[in-house]
Amino acid sequence: MSFDCLPVDKPRWIGQDVPRKEDRALLTGRTRFIDDVVLPEMLHCAILRSLHPHARIVSIDTTEAEAMTGVVAVVTGADALAWSKSSGSVPRGWGSLCLATDKARFVGEPVAAVAAASRALAEDALECIAVEYEPLEPVTDPFAAMEPGSPLVMDDKGTNVMLQRELTWGDVDAAFAGAAHVFTERFRWNRVGANPTETFGVICEWDPATLELIVHGSIQSPSLTALGAASTLGIPSNKVNVKSMAHGGSFGGKGGGRGIGIVAMLSRKVGGRPVKWIEDRMEYLVAGGGQAWDRHYEASIAVDSGGLVTALRVTLVDDLGATGEGFGGLGAAKVLAAFTGPYAIGAAQYDLTLVATNKTPVSPYRGMGPPPHFFVLEQMMDIAAREMEIDPAELRRINFIPSDQFPYTIPSGNEYDSGSYAEVLDAALDLADYPELRRLQQEARGEGRVVGIGVASTIEPGVFDWNAYSIVGMSQTGVPEGATVAVDIAGAITIRVGFAMEGQGQYTLVSQLAADYFAVEMDAVRVVQLDTQSAPPSFGQGGSRLGVAITAAVLGACERLADKMRAVVAALLGATEESVVLRNGKFSTGEHEGVELTVAQVAGTMLARCDLLPPGVDPLPEATYVWTAPGRTRADDEGRAKTYLTAAQSVHVVMVEIDRQTGVVEILEYCLADDCGTRLNPATVDGQTDGSLAQGIGAALYEEYAYDDQGQPLVATLGDYLMPTINEIPATSKVAVVTPSPFTPLGAKGCGEGAIHITPAAVMCAVNDALAPLGVLLSEVPASPRRVWNLIRETA
Amino acid sequence: MTVGVGHLVRLRVNGVSREVQVEPRTTLADLLRVHLGLTGTHLGCEHGVCGACTVVVDGESTRSCLMLAVQADGTDVTTVEGLTGASGELHPIQEAFAREHGLQCGFCTPGFLMALHALLNEHPYADEDEIREVLGGQLCRCTGYHSILRSAMSAAADARAGSSEALR
Repeated sequence: MSFDCLPVDKPRWIGQDVPRKEDRALLTGRTRFIDDVVLPEMLHCAILRSLHPHARIVSIDTTEAEAMTGVVAVVTGADALAWSKSSGSVPRGWGSLCLATDKARFVGEPVAAVAAASRALAEDALECIAVEYEPLEPVTDPFAAMEPGSPLVMDDKGTNVMLQRELTWGDVDAAFAGAAHVFTERFRWNRVGANPTETFGVICEWDPATLELIVHGSIQSPSLTALGAASTLGIPSNKVNVKSMAHGGSFGGKGGGRGIGIVAMLSRKVGGRPVKWIEDRMEYLVAGGGQAWDRHYEASIAVDSGGLVTALRVTLVDDLGATGEGFGGLGAAKVLAAFTGPYAIGAAQYDLTLVATNKTPVSPYRGMGPPPHFFVLEQMMDIAAREMEIDPAELRRINFIPSDQFPYTIPSGNEYDSGSYAEVLDAALDLADYPELRRLQQEARGEGRVVGIGVASTIEPGVFDWNAYSIVGMSQTGVPEGATVAVDIAGAITIRVGFAMEGQGQYTLVSQLAADYFAVEMDAVRVVQLDTQSAPPSFGQGGSRLGVAITAAVLGACERLADKMRAVVAALLGATEESVVLRNGKFSTGEHEGVELTVAQVAGTMLARCDLLPPGVDPLPEATYVWTAPGRTRADDEGRAKTYLTAAQSVHVVMVEIDRQTGVVEILEYCLADDCGTRLNPATVDGQTDGSLAQGIGAALYEEYAYDDQGQPLVATLGDYLMPTINEIPATSKVAVVTPSPFTPLGAKGCGEGAIHITPAAVMCAVNDALAPLGVLLSEVPASPRRVWNLIRETA
Repeated sequence: MTVGVGHLVRLRVNGVSREVQVEPRTTLADLLRVHLGLTGTHLGCEHGVCGACTVVVDGESTRSCLMLAVQADGTDVTTVEGLTGASGELHPIQEAFAREHGLQCGFCTPGFLMALHALLNEHPYADEDEIREVLGGQLCRCTGYHSILRSAMSAAADARAGSSEALR
């Protein structure tokens, strides 16, 4: 364990399975979520949405709605033109106003909104708004959208191609020309997404006199949201204050989207009264921040005669939907952080096209982009293994980056910090008793059953950095995360952070760390969330970063505070500052044997005995530290940079059986080994793995945001979007391998997204291993019963 | 604020008699959350799939988003706020979830707790299959359910112990 940086003989909390301090309030229903907030004079918003995927808005008549009892204000695209600007987007220039103006571009696009005395009255009023549409031909297929003469999603762009890049790293042509084997296949990943149990919600107060805006909401990245609101609403950034509430999960999609703009304008229109909007589930499913990864792939690998993969070529057509406002386009770029997975593939090429269609704009989702990429890469590895008659586990082993090669730079530029890939593979194979699984598979096949085994390995890039997204227009390097550690006059410790509780348990994590730093009980540490006007620079959750980033920030703040206190102790004892040490919660100096001062005593002296302090000593017993990942570099023209700081790795071994009659895939065995470095709270790491794995199973087998070819969404309720229940998730055996990261203060690596990177890949490897004797390949996810059954039927 | 014809609903909530004037279209969930301020009951889908809004009505696990407030007239309702003891001590089911890390964001949790509460009150000897059947109606997007199942099994063990103690 790498806890030497802590001034205690033996840490009591960090690295242990401690209970979470978040839980008591959550379990008793006392945690306040956004819909629980009631403010004086508050109004309620409901949003009228387009029923058409593509239609010119001829006219909107709101007079009847405005005259209704209880209705206070209505906004339309005309207000958006007057009071706001187009949103930011990826790629740049493909943003949108918060309400449709000239035309609607997807079903569910907001067209008008009402503020009324209750949500029910606001919804009633929507029915009295008359919108005249002139339907236009929609385009829903990205390949059709790229054809000349296609309907245009954004008329002024003159094209639906939002961005096209071909990136080549190394001599790919030579590798393919000299390869003993070349394998090529096409794949389709259908739309899936976040779907947290709580939808998005927001309350805005936009004072028309001062033009200051307060935003309360279930917001994943408060500082980013504040900047976005300032920019689109034309407010100086220091006049926007975002107060994120504890929220019921996010998984990437709780950025605020258009809701903040709409509700802010309603508030401004009603003199700054608070206006609340709680997105309902149907709105979320049809047009919320929960759709991601609508992708069409073609991939090729070059393999030498011994099974070494020498080059990887991936062509991606990524259907982003109607605009770039959801920032889902970042996902196509993130794969550069781990393009070649855990393998020592020397050359790679990425041909990337982002396309607009008349569907809901895509958003980030847990994993952000690599999960579909790894589904493709791992199927390619298995195709090679099958064709070359090499065991798939062995093919992976011979291609792994060797343990003595770290830090290791991959062709797409990122540097992996550390790893023990073969050891992780062995751990997973041992746990699964892989030879026995293969024997059971042979036995089952002998009985005519359709049984397959998947062995997959992927990387989870951890600690996200903006520089990973340079190819889609991001220019920053570094994502600062700050924290303040303060001791009060009574010796109580408070940590102030800039992000809300979301479920990962970071408030517990920083309490573990600070309690160990100052050798106190964990309960003695309180964590307080600041709003964006008070917090130090903070991004919050995202890109498997916060566990590493916030512990590094808190550790830095603790060290700064200890330094400050050492100066005080030195002055009090007449010792040199260098001689004062903090150990096990007490300051002492070799110059005065047996004299000790507790942290509480020092803080109390700083705040209540200024007579004892020498001139010039800062009497504030608190310190702030803002951490950014060390060693990050600026991206070159081909997108290459040191981006994500850590690279966790895992191996999943899955056994499935397919019912020939129904096409249902049943998971018989699920074993995994993973290495995300030092585990700061093993119970919460396990929780992240379990939850991320469940989402991966959903993506592999059940979940899909289906549209018809006219752009009408076929998913509108949770009865249509099939998320796994307790009965779809298999029992899982897990084992941890720990290779501490040399780049992070405590040796931890990002761990929040690992399983979704690999689970769909591993499950689909198993499905295709099962189908292989039938001579078919399922190259599309999810492997729904209909899809599997149709494929099996073709072989009959 | 309510507009239109008011209906008087009389019910007991967490052991306290309440009288609430509601519009006929008001759901039990909104009665609890908006009229009584009991915001521990959460709304995840408002169409009866996710189970986050589950409360116990006359001993039965009930989706409060699908029940009209007027239908709850004369009933006895328990919400998550009613699980906790008067001096703040956690109910054994809540204790089990804390111990076994049966929650992450916690938004769906009150629904799981109440569904389980209804089951174990009725049937303290519920086995894993019965627990799975009941919890199969509750969606959680964070935990992947393993820790919830552990929590539920642990709570069931506590309920069995309590039940056999009561018999003694």
